[in-house]
Amino acid sequence: MSDIRVFRARKIITMDPTQPEASHVAVRDGRILGLGDDTCGDAWGTVTHDDCLADAVVMPGFVEGHAHLMAGAMWAYTYVGFHDRIDPDGVQWQGVRDADAMIERLGAAVSTSPPEAPIFGWGFDPIFLTSERLNRTHLDQVSGDRPVAVLFSNFHLMCVNSAALAMAGYDASTNVQGVVKGPDGTPTGELQEMAAMFPVLRRMGIDFRTLSQSAEAIESYGKVAKRAGVTTITDLYSMLEDEDLDLMLRLTGAQDYPLRIVPALGASGVPQQVADKALALKARATDKLRLGAVKLMTDGSIQGWTARVRWPGYVGGQPNGIWNMAPEEIFAFTAEMQKRGVQMHIHVNGDEAAEVSLNALEAAARAHPWPGARHVLQHCQMMDRALFARAAELGVACNVFANHLWYFGDQHASLTIGPKRAARMDAVRTALSEGIVAAIHSDAPVTPLGPLFTAWCAVNRVTMSGNVLGKTECITVPEALELITMGAARTLRLDSEIGSISPGKRADFAVLGGDPLAVRAMDLKDVPVLGTVFGGHVHLS
Amino acid sequence: MSRLSLSVVGGYLGAGKTTLINRLLSGDHGLRLAVLVNDFGAINIDAALLQSASADTIELTNGCVCCTMTGDLFYAIGDMLDRVPRPDHLIVEASGIADPAKIAAVAQAEPDLRYAGILTVVDGVNFPRYAADPLISDQVKAQVRCADFVVVSKDVNAAAITSLEAGGIHHWHSASDTALIEAMLLGDLDVSAPRMDEANGHRPYVQWSTDAPPACSRAQVDAMLATLPRGVLRCKALLPDGAGQIWEIHAVGQVHEVTTRSNAAQTGVVVIGPEGAVTLTEIEAWWAHHTHAMS
Repeated sequence: MSDIRVFRARKIITMDPTQPEASHVAVRDGRILGLGDDTCGDAWGTVTHDDCLADAVVMPGFVEGHAHLMAGAMWAYTYVGFHDRIDPDGVQWQGVRDADAMIERLGAAVSTSPPEAPIFGWGFDPIFLTSERLNRTHLDQVSGDRPVAVLFSNFHLMCVNSAALAMAGYDASTNVQGVVKGPDGTPTGELQEMAAMFPVLRRMGIDFRTLSQSAEAIESYGKVAKRAGVTTITDLYSMLEDEDLDLMLRLTGAQDYPLRIVPALGASGVPQQVADKALALKARATDKLRLGAVKLMTDGSIQGWTARVRWPGYVGGQPNGIWNMAPEEIFAFTAEMQKRGVQMHIHVNGDEAAEVSLNALEAAARAHPWPGARHVLQHCQMMDRALFARAAELGVACNVFANHLWYFGDQHASLTIGPKRAARMDAVRTALSEGIVAAIHSDAPVTPLGPLFTAWCAVNRVTMSGNVLGKTECITVPEALELITMGAARTLRLDSEIGSISPGKRADFAVLGGDPLAVRAMDLKDVPVLGTVFGGHVHLS
Repeated sequence: MSRLSLSVVGGYLGAGKTTLINRLLSGDHGLRLAVLVNDFGAINIDAALLQSASADTIELTNGCVCCTMTGDLFYAIGDMLDRVPRPDHLIVEASGIADPAKIAAVAQAEPDLRYAGILTVVDGVNFPRYAADPLISDQVKAQVRCADFVVVSKDVNAAAITSLEAGGIHHWHSASDTALIEAMLLGDLDVSAPRMDEANGHRPYVQWSTDAPPACSRAQVDAMLATLPRGVLRCKALLPDGAGQIWEIHAVGQVHEVTTRSNAAQTGVVVIGPEGAVTLTEIEAWWAHHTHAMS
C-alpha cells in the first residue's frame, strides 16, 4: 500500500497565487506533496486515490488567531444565547429569543440532569432580551429548590434564582457591591463582577480554571474547531502550569486529535520570570502544541467602558477605562520579551491602549533590535490609519476583532464611541492598505468560533440592525479568505508551514460544502463546513 | 468553621507592598497567615518558618504564601478557604494597577470570608507624579480613596502630602510602623475579655472598650455605626437587643456587618484606631451620645 494519498475535490482553493485552484492534492507523511490534476502525486511513486472529498470545496485549514480554550468547555453547560449555535457534537442549538424560551431551555436541563448537577446557562446577552431585565423570578420558574444561574456572554455578570441567592446568603440585608437590588430592597438575582458572582459559582462547583484547562475542555476545543473548519487555533492567556502542560501534550499528541493549539502564556508578575517560563515552554513545543508566546492584557473592553480610549472618550461621558497592566509594566514586559526573543500578543481594544503599546514596542525595538519579532496587537478595534502606519513601520502585526462589527456595532455607534468612530472601527481595509500583517478573529467563546462568519463580518460590515458600519472599510471575499488562512498563520509565525495549500506545507484543510468565492458576499457565512483534514487525516462531521 | 478574615494590600507599582507583607510574615502575631502575592521572588521567608516550597506555594510552619495570577485570584481565594486547617487571616496583594476594592468586595459577598480592610501603600516620593499622570491618575487615586488605612513608604515629601490631601486623605501612617499595621489589620478585638493594659507602655494606636453596653434597637445600632468617629478603623461589638438576642457587629472602615446571635455571650464593645487619627475623647463622646440615646 502506498503512503501517497491523492484527494480529489470539487475545487481546491489554495490561497497560493502560484496555483490558485486545483482539483487534486497529493499528501504524504501528513504534508502536501503536490497539487494539480489526478496525476499530481504520480511523480513520487504509487498513489492511492481518495474520493471522500470529491463533492467538497477544499481550502487551507482555517487559522483562528484569537480564541480561548474555554470555547469548547462551555458546552458542558446549557447554551442560552440569542443566536443559533452548534455544539461540539454537531447539535444545533436555537437561539433563546425571550425569557419563556430561556425558562423552557433551562427547565429541560433540570429534568435531564442528576439532582446535584448545577443548572448553569451561558451565552446570555441582555441587549437582546428587550421586554424586561432578566431576574430571579424568571429563573425561579426553572426551579424553586435547585440553584439556577445564567452567565452573561461577557462573563462579567450573571443572574441567579432565589435558591442560588439563598445558597450564597444574599438577602435584603446584604449590602455588597455587585449584588443588585430592586425597588423593594431584595436582590433581583443579578450579580455583577466576579466578587459578587464568586460565592454562587463556588457553591455550584463551577471553576473557570477547569473550563480553561481540563481534558474535557481540550477535547471539546478539538470538536468545536473541526466544525468551524479550523485546524490551528490559539489559546490566548493560558496559565500553562506543569500539570496542565502534561495534559495538553498528551491529548494534542494523539493522532486523531484534529487540531494544532498555539497557547500564549498569560503575562503577569515579573517580566524576567515570565520570559524564563515562556522560553522553557518553547523547549517543550510539539507540532500540535506550539509554545513560547506570551499574552499581555493591557486594557478592558469598549462595550464594558473599560477600554482605554483617546480623546474625546466615551459618548456617554463615562470615565476612561482601566488598565489591567500599568503603562510602565507594558513597557517593562515589552522590553524584556523583545530582549529575550519571546513573541507577544498584546490585547488592545481602545486606541489609547494601542498607542501606549506601540510606544512600548518602538522603545523595545530601539533597545533590542529584532526585525522578525512579529509581535501582534490583538483586537485593534479603534486603531486609525496613523496607528496602523506605525504598526507597519515597526513590523507589528494586527489581528482585528471583525466579529464586533456585527455583534456590537450598533451599540458602539449609539452608546460607546459614537457613529463616526464606530464607522472606522475594526478598520481592516486601512490595515491592509498600510501593508500590515493582518488577521481577523472571533475571540471565541466571546463570539462563536467560525472563520467564515468572521470573514463575512469584515467583508460586509453589517450590524445586527442591518446598518453598514463604515462602507469604505469593507474588504473583498478573497482578501477575507486570505486573512483567515495566510494572514492568521503569519501572525503566529507559522506561515511557512500552514495557511495555504502549497507543496511542503502541512496537509491541513477546511472541507466546505460550497464555494466561498462563488456565493454572494452576504451568503459567505452560510457556506457549510463539513469538517477538516488534519495532517492528511480526514475528520468529517 | 470560623470565617476567614481577608485584608487586601493595594498600592501602585514599587510602593512597597511586598516589603510590608514580608514584615507581616515575620511578625510574632501568632496567627496562621495565608498570603497571595504576585511575585514569589521578592518574598523573604525566614528559614526557620519554611516547611516546603513548590512552583506556586510556599508552606510555612505558620501559614502559606501562594503565587497567583490575576485571572485566577478569586479561585485562589477559594482554595485558601478550602485549606485544612483554615488559615486565621488571608492577605491578598493586589497587583500594581489593580483596584483593591474589587478584590475586597469578595470578602463582603462570600459568607465564609470576613472583610478585614484595605490597606494601601503610597510611594511617598513618586505619588505626586503618578497622581498627575493622565494615563494612570484615576486608578492610582482610586487605590488610595478606597483604602481603610493608608500607609506611606519612603520619605513622604511635601508634594505627596499635597497630593494626598487633594485626594481627601488626611491621615496616613508610616509603612514601617509594623506594630501599628499588625494591630490594625490582624489584631484580635476580643469583646469578651477587653484588654485592661491601657497603661502598659506606649502603643501607636488608641483602643477603647466597655463590657456593659445597654440594650439597643437595630435603628440605634445603625445610628451608632453611622457616627463612629472617622479615625476609628475597627469596631467589634456584642450588644443586647433587649429581647434575648445579641447584635454582633463588625466594622472595618466604612464596611459594617450586623448579624444576630441567640447565645447569650458576654456583651461588650471594642474600638480601635491609629493614634493621631482618633482620640479616646472622641470615642468616649461618641459612646456617651449613644448610651444616652439608648437609656
